Amino acid sequence: MGANVDLSVRIGNGTLANPVGVASGTFGYGGEYEGLVDFSDIGAIYTKAVTLEPRGGNAPPRLVETPSGILNSIGLANVGVEKFISDKLPYLRTLPCAVVVNVAGASEDEYRRVVERLESGCLDSVDTNGSGIFGYEVNVSCPNVHHGGLAFGTDPAQVERLTSSLRELTKRPLIIKLTPNVTDIAVVAKAAEAGGADAVSLINTLVGMVIDVKTRKPVLGAKTGGLSGPAVRPVGVALTCKARRAVSIPIIGMGGISCADDALQYILAGASAVQIGTANFVNPKTAGLVSSGIREYCIGNGISSLKEICGVAVD
Amino acid sequence: MKISCVTTFLMCGNFDNTLAHNLFYVNMETPTQFISRIISNDRISEGFFELSLSWDPRAPVPMPGQFMTVRVGSLAVPLLRRPFAFAGFDADSSSAAIIYQKRGAGTELLAAARPGDELDVIGPLGTPFVIDTDQSKHVIIAGGIGLGPMLFLSSALKSRNIPARFIFGCRNKSLVPDTKMFTDADPQICTDDGSAGFRGTVADYINTNVSLDNSTTIYACGPSPMLTSVNKIAQSSGARCQVSLEAVMACGVGACMGCAVPVVGGGYARVCKEGPVFDGGEVLWERM
Ligand SMILES: Cc1cc2nc3c(=O)[nH]c(=O)nc-3n(C[C@H](O)[C@H](O)[C@H](O)COP(=O)(O)OP(=O)(O)OC[C@H]3O[C@@H](n4cnc5c(N)ncnc54)[C@H](O)[C@@H]3O)c2cc1C
Ligand SMILES: Cc1cc2nc3c(=O)[nH]c(=O)nc-3n(C[C@H](O)[C@H](O)[C@H](O)COP(=O)(O)O)c2cc1C
Ligand code: FES
Repeated sequence: MGANVDLSVRIGNGTLANPVGVASGTFGYGGEYEGLVDFSDIGAIYTKAVTLEPRGGNAPPRLVETPSGILNSIGLANVGVEKFISDKLPYLRTLPCAVVVNVAGASEDEYRRVVERLESGCLDSVDTNGSGIFGYEVNVSCPNVHHGGLAFGTDPAQVERLTSSLRELTKRPLIIKLTPNVTDIAVVAKAAEAGGADAVSLINTLVGMVIDVKTRKPVLGAKTGGLSGPAVRPVGVALTCKARRAVSIPIIGMGGISCADDALQYILAGASAVQIGTANFVNPKTAGLVSSGIREYCIGNGISSLKEICGVAVD
Repeated sequence: MKISCVTTFLMCGNFDNTLAHNLFYVNMETPTQFISRIISNDRISEGFFELSLSWDPRAPVPMPGQFMTVRVGSLAVPLLRRPFAFAGFDADSSSAAIIYQKRGAGTELLAAARPGDELDVIGPLGTPFVIDTDQSKHVIIAGGIGLGPMLFLSSALKSRNIPARFIFGCRNKSLVPDTKMFTDADPQICTDDGSAGFRGTVADYINTNVSLDNSTTIYACGPSPMLTSVNKIAQSSGARCQVSLEAVMACGVGACMGCAVPVVGGGYARVCKEGPVFDGGEVLWERM
């Protein structure tokens, strides 16, 4: 019976019962998918990036489809931490899945103030985790903003400093989200580990551009955007493998996952958990289908815990 | 198959020119995802098709202006679901219709679909047109792929015995649809080359043939340049104007912020959530 398969994942001092989450920026603040998904099928919802102040995002057009993928230049369009706490968190708290807040900022100070505000603003709750927040995913990898984001994520020294600075502020699981837009992701993953991260997640989107040959101009208002979807999966799997060799903290893998086999590739490459991004747009129920597919794979192959197969393709 | 409008239709007696009507509908009934079956899929003019499909009776009833997203095919190309506005809904047979234009890979595939084929559908999504019952004159304007939702609105007004003028614009005669739905709307046709109906754009037609004032409401859907000029005409005549906008969409449910359009007063609105129907005065046309 399926009940014998242990799919749980430990991240820092927290445990996710189900390793399949929905990726930041693709599931809003959860409520948008009300009625379309059963949140108990989802391991964790990683929120849209939360910054100190609300942000409107980049000039449209913001989306264009590419071969087996999409290119987006949303930017960090979000309601800001105050509205997040007052308008979004109450709903998120009612969900049966873990809530990981994706945090972004233009400076170390901004990242700190967002985490501080969430830690102080939410502790009054009676939730098991104290706030309804499972942990933080620190976005040091957004390719769609000029300051912060990617600027942090490509410099290992800054990643280590930011991580240790945020580590002082919270005991909750701290996940650093890495960009694939670097020469050597191993160095950046090591920096996050050295700074005290509980896990690294990867990959964020790859910088790309689409040009309209009729107008002879880039299609996206921001000119460049971030590539995601099935097209990037082999890149994500390879980088998961590279990060696995570099660090001993858990890796949360993502990039182009649309079915259980895709997710298993990440797990076999060394990921302990996974996230579904672009595939949610194709079918909002993807995360549930992926987690039940992983369970079936385990049952069919006599695997009692995902840990048995984590990284075996490359160890 | 006959597509008529349902009776449970939204009306709004004192529609004021603000965002409020849209915000009011933001948390309407939640959409449903289901597998639908194609009933018919026929060519109605050069490159245009009318598709009718079964509608899950447990899903909310679609209203004019609202849309659905469809997963076309099952491969990674085309990847994203494609949005289409409802062209009609029949409660008795629980079926809905869309009118679409073959444009690229997704609509090419859709045009090849046959009766009996299955389609993965999410809907209804977005905000509907609000029938301005306190206005005495109603003008419906459709261009290109905006035809479907405007025919749906036209049949809704008809079933309420609200008289409306229906003005349809296209490039030439080959684009005039050959369908009962269209003739039922008693359309005034405008073609750029004069090969059918009035020679000129819908804006030219309105300027010369329709008297507008503050007792008029215009409802419009079509290409951006058309909506821009229609909105201008409405503003200068004091007529109210509701427009249905388009944007490339990823999620269709308000989660990704991908379908943003600039609005007056700063910032953006989501076409899939605050729209697709907007008050003409809300949209920052210069930046569209
Ligand atoms: C709310 C809404 C309602 C719509 N209703 C209808 C309708 O009733 N009938 C109809 O024919 N079409 C409608 N559309 C447009 C329709 O979604 C696109 O034509 C379709 O997605 C094109 O897919 P494709 O794969 O064939 O073309 P693609 O190869 O994806 O694109 C072909 C061309 O269409 C443009 N395009 C692609 N996606 C969109 C989009 N979502 N909105 C606008 N332009 C797009 C592209 O920029 C390109 O120029 C609607 C769009 C929206 C947002
Ligand atoms: C529309 C869109 C918005 C995104 N917004 C964010 C964001 O706010 N913060 C973040 O860390 N990642 C963001 N991402 C990146 C995804 O979380 C994910 O890392 C990436 O899309 C790769 O996974 P996928 O191929 O499964 O989509 C966004 C991706 C998309 C497509
Ligand atoms: S398409 Fe995702 S927010 Fe509108």
